[in-house]
Amino acid sequence: MMKQILLITDGGSNVGESPVTAAAQAYAEGITVNVAGVVDEGTIGEYGVTEIADIARAGGGISQIVTSRQLSKTVQMMTRQTVAGTIRQAVNQELRQLFGVNDVGSLPPPKRGEVVKVMEEMEETMSLSVALLIDASASMKPKLHAVEEAIRDLTLSLQARTGRSQVSVFHFPGDSQYSYCVMDAGWHSNASNLGSLFGKIRMRGTTPTGPALLQVVDYIRETCGKIGKIELMDEPHASGGGSSEVRSDNVV
Amino acid sequence: MLRAAGRARCGVTTSSEKETLPRGTEIRGKWNGKVYRLERLLGLGSNGQVYLASAGPRVICAIKIGHEAAELQGEVNILASLDHSEKGRQPFLLDVDDAVIDGRKIPFYVMRYVPGVPLKAYLKEHGSHWMGVIGYRLLERLSHLHEAGWVFGDIKSDNILVGEYGRVELVDYGGASAIGRSVRQFTEIYDRGYWSAGSRVADPAYDLFAVGLLWLHALDGKRLVQLTRTLIPQNRHPRELMKLVKSNPKLQPVEGWIEKALTGQFASTRESTKEWREAVRISQRPKPADDRVPGWMAGLLGAAIVLSTTLAAVWLLD
Repeated sequence: MMKQILLITDGGSNVGESPVTAAAQAYAEGITVNVAGVVDEGTIGEYGVTEIADIARAGGGISQIVTSRQLSKTVQMMTRQTVAGTIRQAVNQELRQLFGVNDVGSLPPPKRGEVVKVMEEMEETMSLSVALLIDASASMKPKLHAVEEAIRDLTLSLQARTGRSQVSVFHFPGDSQYSYCVMDAGWHSNASNLGSLFGKIRMRGTTPTGPALLQVVDYIRETCGKIGKIELMDEPHASGGGSSEVRSDNVV
Repeated sequence: MLRAAGRARCGVTTSSEKETLPRGTEIRGKWNGKVYRLERLLGLGSNGQVYLASAGPRVICAIKIGHEAAELQGEVNILASLDHSEKGRQPFLLDVDDAVIDGRKIPFYVMRYVPGVPLKAYLKEHGSHWMGVIGYRLLERLSHLHEAGWVFGDIKSDNILVGEYGRVELVDYGGASAIGRSVRQFTEIYDRGYWSAGSRVADPAYDLFAVGLLWLHALDGKRLVQLTRTLIPQNRHPRELMKLVKSNPKLQPVEGWIEKALTGQFASTRESTKEWREAVRISQRPKPADDRVPGWMAGLLGAAIVLSTTLAAVWLLD
């Protein structure tokens, strides 16, 4: 099973643990972290831009800074590319160990064709869990519609996969100093079951990106079982502990 | 989607990938040993650059230079499979190889060169009355593709090249998906999911939906773009698109066809091709009112009657 966290933010963190080490920790536990920086007016600032890129690098993922209009597209693409990238890495590693070649590109084209077929099969059929972590600090408020739309759009795309896919949604900061982030939706597979996501958020000023990231890592650990390195053969069904899972409509 | 895909990658790739190669660059295949000479850039595809190239004095071909071997290979697999399943036609894929340029290893493949201009440009230059032929050819092409088990996915003006006399060829198969899989690449405003009209599972109806939008976009692009700007996501629905279609006289002949495409009512792509032909044909027939006697004949008859009446009157009065 593949696990990703997608952080959507518009600026630098300012409370608690560094988000870069948090992302590195997530990656160490087999979760890739991608970051979409949303900026409509003004700029994120050099500090924010650097941090966004750093979080993604530490988390083994990709980052991009976009306007809220491009958000849906970006979120989708990052997810897809990360799936492909994760599989590519795993396959290249196998190739190195088994055949002593560096990567897929070092194979002669006909062989390459065969391997890529298998890789694409895995991209489509492997289970995938994406936890979305939304920065809901005051400056994000006007962008939350676009964020909600992007989440729905991503869920719709994942729903079309052959493999089992699920999405969960969190926002931060949380309501008290003891919870850095709040879960808006547990694991879902169907866009129409998501409901209204950010209806009753009270916007606050702090941005505890790092602590929130770690909390989501905990959640993934608890609900998705032990996370090892990605295995080439997916288990038929990894059971989630008490979360509201619905199987994708189009699993064949 | 295409261009955006290039952008998203910038986090992990170098900027040199965005630079184009100069005319005259030699591409020498490592495995098959063929040599190609780049002539000019034809376009940017989903995962690489496409150049016009020559292989020897008279052989012109198109060559796609990729960034990532595995990614490019996915496209090659689709092309090879299409060549295999559509044996009747000229093969599209000619060579697959790697080359080294400036010390960098780059994967590439060579395909048949398809001359032509994007659909919208063609209609602008030659007039919208070419819609019937082009639409028919496009649906024929899609019928073959669907029968071979593939869905094109990313249908849009840029990916449909129209050559002499409305000949149609699809380009950029990077977004094609096997039927039943998820659509791997699409453009938002052509996407069935975006318009809350169905899933993103690749089925023939997915492409037909996009064809419906293609015509709306090609002939009424401004209003369509305006609509996507003003509609809130919950209100995206085929009926909003149909309002535009129904109020555009150019689209009137295929109004019924577009409605069926947008609501997924065609049983097969063949059926949709047949109905397209009928819809266009009916609009080409003379209107019932003109169906009767031509004007000059009626005039002649009238004149004859007047003449004979006058003659009769003169004779009677006499």
